[in-house]
Amino acid sequence: MSNVRLENVSKTYGDMKIIHGVDLAINEGEFVVFVGPSGCGKSTLLRMIAGLEDITGGHIKIGDKIVNDMPSPQRGIAMVFQSYALYPHMTVRRNMAFGLEISKCPKDEIEERVNNAARILQLEPYLNRMPKELSGGQRQRVAIGRAIVREPKVFLFDEPLSNLDAALRGQTRLEIAKLHSSLGATMIYVTHDQVEAMTLADRIVVLNGGRIEQVGTPLELYSSPANAFVAGFIGGQKMNFMPASSRDGKLQLGQRVLPFSVSSSVTKVGIRPEHLQVSTPEDAHLSGRVEYVEMFGDHTLIHFETEDLGLITVKVEDSSDIKENEPIYVKLLAERLHLFDDSGRVHDAISH
Amino acid sequence: MTINSDQKHTPMATLALVFVAIIWISPFSWLFVNAVDTQATGELRWPQSIGIGNFVSAMSGSAAQQFMNSMILALGTATMTIVVAAGAAYFLSRVYIPGKTTILWALVVMRMMPTNGVLVPIYFTAEKSGLLNPLGVMIALTILNLPFTLLLLKNFFDTVPLELEEAAHVEGASLWEILRHVVLPLSRAGIAVVWFFSFTSAWNEFLFPLIFSRTDSVFPMSMGLYSAFGEHGAIQYGFLAAYSIVYAIPAIGVYFLLRRNMNTGFAGVGVKG
Repeated sequence: MSNVRLENVSKTYGDMKIIHGVDLAINEGEFVVFVGPSGCGKSTLLRMIAGLEDITGGHIKIGDKIVNDMPSPQRGIAMVFQSYALYPHMTVRRNMAFGLEISKCPKDEIEERVNNAARILQLEPYLNRMPKELSGGQRQRVAIGRAIVREPKVFLFDEPLSNLDAALRGQTRLEIAKLHSSLGATMIYVTHDQVEAMTLADRIVVLNGGRIEQVGTPLELYSSPANAFVAGFIGGQKMNFMPASSRDGKLQLGQRVLPFSVSSSVTKVGIRPEHLQVSTPEDAHLSGRVEYVEMFGDHTLIHFETEDLGLITVKVEDSSDIKENEPIYVKLLAERLHLFDDSGRVHDAISH
Repeated sequence: MTINSDQKHTPMATLALVFVAIIWISPFSWLFVNAVDTQATGELRWPQSIGIGNFVSAMSGSAAQQFMNSMILALGTATMTIVVAAGAAYFLSRVYIPGKTTILWALVVMRMMPTNGVLVPIYFTAEKSGLLNPLGVMIALTILNLPFTLLLLKNFFDTVPLELEEAAHVEGASLWEILRHVVLPLSRAGIAVVWFFSFTSAWNEFLFPLIFSRTDSVFPMSMGLYSAFGEHGAIQYGFLAAYSIVYAIPAIGVYFLLRRNMNTGFAGVGVKG
């Protein structure tokens, strides 16, 4: 177990700056998830911590040591790759033992550690099989087992679930969460999937274009995103964004002036589909015509077209009897409204 | 729909197949019949007296020496080719060099020129460096093998995912350990093909041993076969046939030894879920 500290870390390929001075402190035993769209630099950052990419500027510390020039094997890390990177010509047992064999670990200790990892991951029946004889989920577990046997200070996961189907992904996600609570090791996990980020993380690091947009617990990111990018990226359903302005200190959305006090610099509001309510025409803040309805059983998403604000999505519990092409009236939950100004930053909280 | 394999052969088709079979088999039967006939005359006839005398003389004395010379030459060339080509091909596969594919193909195209065209410079180079001996033949053949084998092995190494090497690196393996435990085992099929190709071409090589050899004692079997046609005044057909069979066996043997490896290429395990 060990803490990890990134101090003004940057990465340049030729003229291209990929990582722009990232500062981050990861505590001992913490589960931190790097999340962001493709090309945001999250995998590069992880590979820099792993020692697979050079560090152009700044420092990376694992424990109290600066590891910038330390070769990967000495950093006390273990990495689980997106493609699992199992050696196809070795049995499951040898796949897990390989690193220990290379580092001249005594035979009986290798045996003990491999058996222990196999027990934790329920891989005991498969130890003598080849990787090609395993299912995707089993291969994934072997890749994790290979990390466990090394007893690393820090686990690094690079999109480990993206090659699994949806059902298996949910199950493996749970196993990784269990593994973290039983090992208590520091884990850094890269994903582009915000559901994985929300469910696994102690803290989420949202990256965009090589910069940290926000660091926080999943709930902090959900309820008080620092800017429009984080607001749009985190959350089960995509947030609705509407152009806005201020008229006499009140919020103006298109033609409507709503009874919410806002500062004059507001240019955009965002509200999550679950924070909109279908209402009567009298109470409504917004109205429109239903474009299409998606039924999920436990909830329903209603997408409606407004005259001047574009397509807006409402989430309703259970099923709904609202039909396509019907008119719809919707109320905003004022305290759940996120206000943004030109710089994209969140504005002062709203008041009535 | 399945293809019907029970189609009746027409008499004409059967006749044609028999004809082709005879054409194919007759040289081999000629070879075999003469090899086991101690009084062979070179005619295709029923053996007069069956015995293994021809094989005994084809595997003893100078014939045995020539067998050993061929073996050393072929094993040496194949091994030298693999060592040099694998090292260079791994480098070519993993390191970014602008225009490396073009360079590689240019080498292959140049190699398509007849070897005889560059025989004179090769000969003088060997003479000046004191390599007019079997080692010189091995080096010359290795160099001539390199363009094709580099291209082939580079393509094999390209199929080994970089993540496997990164995984081994993170686990503490050195470059040599990564090559030995990960890259080379996964490129077994390519290495087997290159080794087989180099072995048989060196085994069959006639021209280079001819011009590089200074003494009879270093002649390989290809040259022994040539001299068996006239060295003893009259041609001993029984000896010649037995000698030819002994000459052909190693190449076939090597093929069967390596066949398993050649058939097991790299299956992209580990990527798909």
